[in-house]
Amino acid sequence: MDPTTAMYVSQAIHGLAYGMVLFLVASGLTIIFGMMDILNLAHAAFFMLSAYFCYQFLTITGSFWAALLLAPLATAFFGIILERFFLRKIHAYGLMSQLVLTVGVALVILASVKIFWGTESLPVKIPPILSGLIKWGGLDYPVYRLFIIGLSLVVLVIMALLLYKTRLGKIVRAAVSDADMVNSLGINIPLVFTFVFGVGIWLAGIAGVAIAPILTVFPGLEAQMGMDAFVVVITGGFGSLAGAFIVSIIFGLLSSFGVQFVSSLAPVLMFAFMAVVLAIKPTGLFGERE
Amino acid sequence: MMNKTVQWIFWVVLFIFLALYPGMFGIYYTNLFVTFAVFAVYSVSFNLLLGYTALFSFGHAMFFGFGGYGTALALKHIPGLSLISSVLIGMLAAIVLALVLAPIVVRVTGSAFAMLHLAFGQLMYILALKLRPITGGEDGIGGFPIPPLNIPGIASINMKAPENFYYFAIVVLGISLWIMWYFTKTPFGQIQVGVRDNAVRIDYLGFKVPQTKAVIYVVAGAFAGVAGSIFSLFQNLIAADSAFSILVSFGAVINTLVGGLGSFIGPVCGAAIMQILEEVTTRYTDRVELVAGLILIFVIMFAPMGFMGGVRMLQMKWQARSAMKMKLEKAS
Repeated sequence: MDPTTAMYVSQAIHGLAYGMVLFLVASGLTIIFGMMDILNLAHAAFFMLSAYFCYQFLTITGSFWAALLLAPLATAFFGIILERFFLRKIHAYGLMSQLVLTVGVALVILASVKIFWGTESLPVKIPPILSGLIKWGGLDYPVYRLFIIGLSLVVLVIMALLLYKTRLGKIVRAAVSDADMVNSLGINIPLVFTFVFGVGIWLAGIAGVAIAPILTVFPGLEAQMGMDAFVVVITGGFGSLAGAFIVSIIFGLLSSFGVQFVSSLAPVLMFAFMAVVLAIKPTGLFGERE
Repeated sequence: MMNKTVQWIFWVVLFIFLALYPGMFGIYYTNLFVTFAVFAVYSVSFNLLLGYTALFSFGHAMFFGFGGYGTALALKHIPGLSLISSVLIGMLAAIVLALVLAPIVVRVTGSAFAMLHLAFGQLMYILALKLRPITGGEDGIGGFPIPPLNIPGIASINMKAPENFYYFAIVVLGISLWIMWYFTKTPFGQIQVGVRDNAVRIDYLGFKVPQTKAVIYVVAGAFAGVAGSIFSLFQNLIAADSAFSILVSFGAVINTLVGGLGSFIGPVCGAAIMQILEEVTTRYTDRVELVAGLILIFVIMFAPMGFMGGVRMLQMKWQARSAMKMKLEKAS
């Protein structure tokens, strides 16, 4: 196989892997917004926190798989505390209070992480089975990138089944369209809200663990992922999972090919894409509500 | 309520205090006060959008940055430019940006408006970092010449002395504050409040809602530009992190919220409180982020109406008590 094709394939895989991770973060953000009208600006901070938990569990247990299981759960636990004891109390004060509160939480998480783990990059080792390359059809594929894509797809399928095939999913979808009505039908909406918030944070947590071995664990993770995920949600349309998915993949590919061809302008590409979409349709690609 | 005499005394005392301030507190606190004044004007211009028209901008820093970069670039590239025109150029840059964005942003409200601004603000930040030949990237533009203030036929005042710059900044920012205050009192300002409270009704009354929003958007942008312009003159440096960073946008939100929504003077109080807190925290600890985060959480959880909200509540309580007393006296 000639080097140009090899380059294209490898960039495509990198882009897809990043796009899928981006989608894991953005999907939580967009579900939480669609259902509860909460723009969780601490979302990326939880993502970073999970990466740190991953590092910590890995040092304690020595097993990446245990970290992959435990770190997102631990992160979701903190997310649930945030929803149950803070966000719920200020729901009446509207969007702005929630935004400022979540900014405050993000700052506290960032500061705590720096206190407990310091500011330097911490390496996360992947198990031998996930490292290395697979040769197939004359091309090399990095196993870990493929693992990330596979993992995200599995999570995606589980979420889709949960959302479209179960009673709980039906309740969640109904709550997205009209939470008050579902509440008056006798369903415990506050509990469902807490659950959905927890799941959203859990998704960000999985993304955090998945990205940790690639980028290493450092406080800058938050800023890097936070902005990208927000741009995805804005461009895809608030509350739209399909929009988040499509835009995540586009952005993943855009950033990996962008770095290849116009390296200095790669971050601008994403925002330019967003600006074009918003100038034509201010609510985003699939957004209906404002 | 304050009557005319008390008001006059208040203004005279304030004026004397501001005039004597540099002599009383020294250079360090003079510079601190200029920073406070810059962010007070910037926050008030933000509140013009949020408090008076309910447009929640999460990227107000881009006007601040445009003002700052406009002034810095003008002074760097145009020799012999006067001080006042450099500030006006900064203001003009912010106005142009607002005019370009207005047709897009006035069509949306609520969180879409906020997020659009977050996105545009971040785009500006990245552009400022990446367009290195123009903006100087991370280092920004620094060391541009600061011209003296020429009053034709009277004097030429050197602006490099901190006291002189203090007076210049206070006058410019004071005038900006006054114009914004006056603006909210005009009939047009009342229409804005109407748009905030019931846009559909204002539309039926025959006023044009999007155009009204666009005008206020441009005014708010212009004065954020003035604040940014003074800031870049004050620091003699403007960089992406101090001008376009998301933290600058958050700063306006936080000042407004801490000070209290819906009152003109609220953001000024908020800016003062945050400035003092920052000063105190940096003196005792280097965990500024932690303290700032905890303050935000605390304010939202326990004082969601902000400082001015608290003041107003106390005022109402006091009035209720004095009314009660009068009733009791009458009865006895």
